[in-house]
Amino acid sequence: MPSYECEGRTYDVDEDGFLQDPGLWNEDVAKDFRGTEGITELTPDHWKVIHYIRDYYLQFGIAPMVRKVCKQTGFSLKEIYQLFPSGPAKGACKLAGLPKPTGCV
Amino acid sequence: MASVMKSLTRPMTAEEREKAYSTPKKPDVMERQRLPVRYHVEDFNVEDRPRRFLEVFASVLQHHPNYRLALDHYMRVTTRCARCAVACPIYDATHDPHDIPCYRSELLLSIYRRHFTVSGALRARLLGDPGLADEKLQEMADSYYNCTACRRCHFECPMGIDHALVTHLGRYLLSEIGIVPRALVVSTREQLIGKTANTSAIPLPALIDTLEFLTEDIQDEKGVHVPFPIDQEGAEYIFFTSVSDFMMEAETLKGIAAVMKATGDSWTIGSKYYDGINYGLFYSDQVMEHVLHMMRAEAERLKVKKILIGECGHSARTAKFFYPTYCGGKNALPVISILEYTQRALKEGRIKLDPKVVTEAVTYHDPCNIARPGWIVNQPREVLKAFCSQYVEMAPNGRMNLCCGGGGGTVSIDEIRPFRTAVSGRLKAEQIRRTGATYCVAPCANCKKQLRELMEDQGVECEILGLHDLIYKAILLPPDSAEETAAAEAADGSTASPAEGSPS
Repeated sequence: MPSYECEGRTYDVDEDGFLQDPGLWNEDVAKDFRGTEGITELTPDHWKVIHYIRDYYLQFGIAPMVRKVCKQTGFSLKEIYQLFPSGPAKGACKLAGLPKPTGCV
Repeated sequence: MASVMKSLTRPMTAEEREKAYSTPKKPDVMERQRLPVRYHVEDFNVEDRPRRFLEVFASVLQHHPNYRLALDHYMRVTTRCARCAVACPIYDATHDPHDIPCYRSELLLSIYRRHFTVSGALRARLLGDPGLADEKLQEMADSYYNCTACRRCHFECPMGIDHALVTHLGRYLLSEIGIVPRALVVSTREQLIGKTANTSAIPLPALIDTLEFLTEDIQDEKGVHVPFPIDQEGAEYIFFTSVSDFMMEAETLKGIAAVMKATGDSWTIGSKYYDGINYGLFYSDQVMEHVLHMMRAEAERLKVKKILIGECGHSARTAKFFYPTYCGGKNALPVISILEYTQRALKEGRIKLDPKVVTEAVTYHDPCNIARPGWIVNQPREVLKAFCSQYVEMAPNGRMNLCCGGGGGTVSIDEIRPFRTAVSGRLKAEQIRRTGATYCVAPCANCKKQLRELMEDQGVECEILGLHDLIYKAILLPPDSAEETAAAEAADGSTASPAEGSPS
């Protein structure tokens, strides 16, 4: 199984670099993984999106619809892409510790 | 319409080619792969692979006599003239002889000739041919996922060989010995035996929450209560769409619900099974059959009259053309696509679209799965021309359209994105760039994902959306009646409650 190391912490990840066990997430994970998504610093805007996705995941077991993320956090889709260059389904989910989305997503 | 495509772009340089085929990730199993597809292999015994492949081949020929008929014919008539090369967008980019469609077909046809015909067996004995070797299987695995199964090549073949059918069979046989891209298997496994029974693993409570949210969203934007009915027994239509739409395509779904509201036809989404995706079309007839049976079970449970497929090319094609094959023949439920439905509703005057809303240039991309057989070509164009003041056509189009570059399941394989955007989608990017359109309508979840990545990687300024995204902008909905307002208030923005229990 591949692993990812950052600042002395080691995480088990899948082949795409997503956290293997979503239950092991904490804020350090988001901070450590930001490098793999080309994000230099996590701003409060980033945290707003990450926490929203994380809370939704804990409640429903899946990432929220992209449109819902935009509406609830108040960012446009363009702004979300500026925050997470690989998009809400990949980058934001990775930092929030969700498994990689499957299917035509 | 010119049948022979004139390349829109210069040939690829060696450097570009290397970049398109390279990947930072190491492929798992196959050696000497050109394309770094990660294959899913559980039971992997290289020594025994050729024998197992031939066994699978024999049993498939026995159980599906139609394949035998086709292979027998193709094997005899094939001239390997490579005329099909002019129709292939991938060959146009790579100029690699391995990418010529009839070269790819010959891989399988030669195995058939050698192992399943009398003359082949005699010749092998005469020449001392040892038979199928593992290298050949590796070449096949590599080659068959280098193709987007867009079926454009069969127009060019003077002998009428459907190379995509041979590729389809080749992929099916390989999947039976465990060589199949991981991305496809992970999704279909969740769909067939997972708890959520859909490819994106969306649980029912999340679906209900999403649909409630969409109803609220329409209320906010249009001031009308537009429900997404769940589990309405006896409805006219049961709606299946690519389940990823429930995560990615809010506007498309809102447009579809608005159209259904305007026409007043009863429709429903099934709570036990709501996924239209059928990756079986890309790699396995068996998977395809199982998925269609799940669709049938849900349609029968809810006693609906027709099956309505959302904006998704491959699910529309599997349902339309294979549902009767596997689910009751002439007695099977009729299948229609939402694109046909909307066009008919517009023609009958049941929906009204405001022609002043969409003034930007709009172009239309034909998804291969619905346009290649000539099934859905004019319907969406009629709808677009009815309310878009600036409609531009790309060329070639319709049945001769170019693939988005992510067909045949390759769009789900994330690790080959460089290949999809630099090789298979290269002509498409240029084609869209030359229309200069603001919006490109691509009524297919698969095409949408691929085209968005393509626009990003190739730096084309064009927004990709579905047909119903535009319809949603322009549709004129009558205000709610008193009853509907009361219903909306009573439900407080929520959709009808589904049956108890989770999908199984």
